[in-house]
Amino acid sequence: MNHRLLWAAALIVGTFMILPLLVLVFFAFSSSPLLRLPLEGLTFKWFLRLAETQGFLGSLTNSLLISASVGIASTMIGTLAAFGLSIGKPRFSGTYVSILALPLMVPPLVLGIAFLSYFSGLGLRLGLHATIIAQVVTLQPIVILIVVSRLSGFDWAAVDSARDLGASTWRTFIDVTFPMIRPTILGAALIVMALSLDDFIITFFTIGGENTLPTLLWGMMRKGIDPRMNACALIVVAFTLLLGVIAMRLTRNPD
Amino acid sequence: MAGFRLPRSVGLLSPSLGANAIFFVVPLVYFFVLSFLQVRSFQVVFDPTTSNYVRVLQQYSAPLASTLSLAVTVATIVTVVGFIYASACRFIGGSKGGWFLAIAMITLFGGYLAKLYAWRTILGENGILNTGLIELGLIQSPITALLYNNFAVILALTHYTLPLAILPIYGSLRAIEDLPIAAARDLGASDGRILKDIILPQCATGLFSAFAMTLLFVSGDAIAPRLLGGTSSSMIGVFIQDQFGFRVNAPMGSALAFTVIAGSAIILVLIGLGGTRLLRLGARP
Repeated sequence: MNHRLLWAAALIVGTFMILPLLVLVFFAFSSSPLLRLPLEGLTFKWFLRLAETQGFLGSLTNSLLISASVGIASTMIGTLAAFGLSIGKPRFSGTYVSILALPLMVPPLVLGIAFLSYFSGLGLRLGLHATIIAQVVTLQPIVILIVVSRLSGFDWAAVDSARDLGASTWRTFIDVTFPMIRPTILGAALIVMALSLDDFIITFFTIGGENTLPTLLWGMMRKGIDPRMNACALIVVAFTLLLGVIAMRLTRNPD
Repeated sequence: MAGFRLPRSVGLLSPSLGANAIFFVVPLVYFFVLSFLQVRSFQVVFDPTTSNYVRVLQQYSAPLASTLSLAVTVATIVTVVGFIYASACRFIGGSKGGWFLAIAMITLFGGYLAKLYAWRTILGENGILNTGLIELGLIQSPITALLYNNFAVILALTHYTLPLAILPIYGSLRAIEDLPIAAARDLGASDGRILKDIILPQCATGLFSAFAMTLLFVSGDAIAPRLLGGTSSSMIGVFIQDQFGFRVNAPMGSALAFTVIAGSAIILVLIGLGGTRLLRLGARP
């Protein structure tokens, strides 16, 4: 294949993918309130203004709280399911995986609205708990897929030897299996936390009167151009990128 | 012990399956049933009817068609560009290929709203592109045709879905071994022939899942058209969301949602069938 042509094409596409994010970064530090070229000077003032904005700290707390809860809950449920799939009959596991991955195929808008109708139909209150539940259901398939793919290349010999030497199921898991797949589980948790922080649509429909960083950003976006939005967007980007990059390093397969 | 294996696996699966049943399957079924109900004086009443779907087809066929065609456009662009990019990651060896893959992985994160917002600051009348071009002396007055139309929506959604689509395509390309390609080349096969007979058949699943994911996401999106689209680019997602806002007609919103999902599913089935046929024809010597 013509490598030079392929390389040039990938360079253009790569630039296209990363440039808008760089734009966000630069303009969050631009001293001019107008988002235009050329850049005038650098400043931190938009972050300080954002911190003083009413509701910002609450949104930040909510975002972190939801992200942590969703990360923990979906990783626990998803990892258990992945183990269930790996010790069950292979014939069934394909079906289970496709059933459990279904939430990934439904557009987030439909999921968000279905959830909203379900909760209001049952007369349940919306709020952080509803957002956490909705996100756990939509994000746990990601944990399952990641852990299942790690377990498919897993060397069960060490587990079998521990069992042969008389270790209980629980001890084997704690001392042998878990340490071996810990990076993968941690990586899956971080990916889910990043996606949870980033989620706007499902959160918007389930959170009721509360705010997270993305819904706060949405509120500001509807009012017009305001450099605090760049700062807010950059915080979301920085958090998700950081979690994402660490997760990528952890889940990289040993091969 | 073998007899205990199945129950134990079911036990491990049960929290996941239970959460899925209570908070995914039941809400969706409830939401589907809702599409056959009606609203009278702001109350949903149990009076099964198909009139919502009739109304969807009568009143919303134009936005339905434009939404699906926009979704097919984005999904096609994303699948083709994603394939080219994933090929670069797979077939350009060494650190360059690794860098390309890293860019795709990094841009996977970084925020849906943040990305849409970035495009608004780039494409706006006083945005970065316009002011930059004026600064360079390439244009005199700002181009207003960049934002608030379908072009902006397509561009931003392509940008958002591209990293998501690259992953499954790259995954299937990675599974292709080097040996058959090298063998084909030694036997004198052209690049086109290798692509058609070795690479495409083996990454068909990856290409299809990239296409399907993008199509479903775009056809159900309401945020990009609201932020970047014009008054004319009325996507069905916006109408769905409106039924839960000021229109207060949940059954109608539900009927709209299931119609657009059904439309996407039909497109996917047709493309799946067409693709298999095409591959079978291509495989003939």
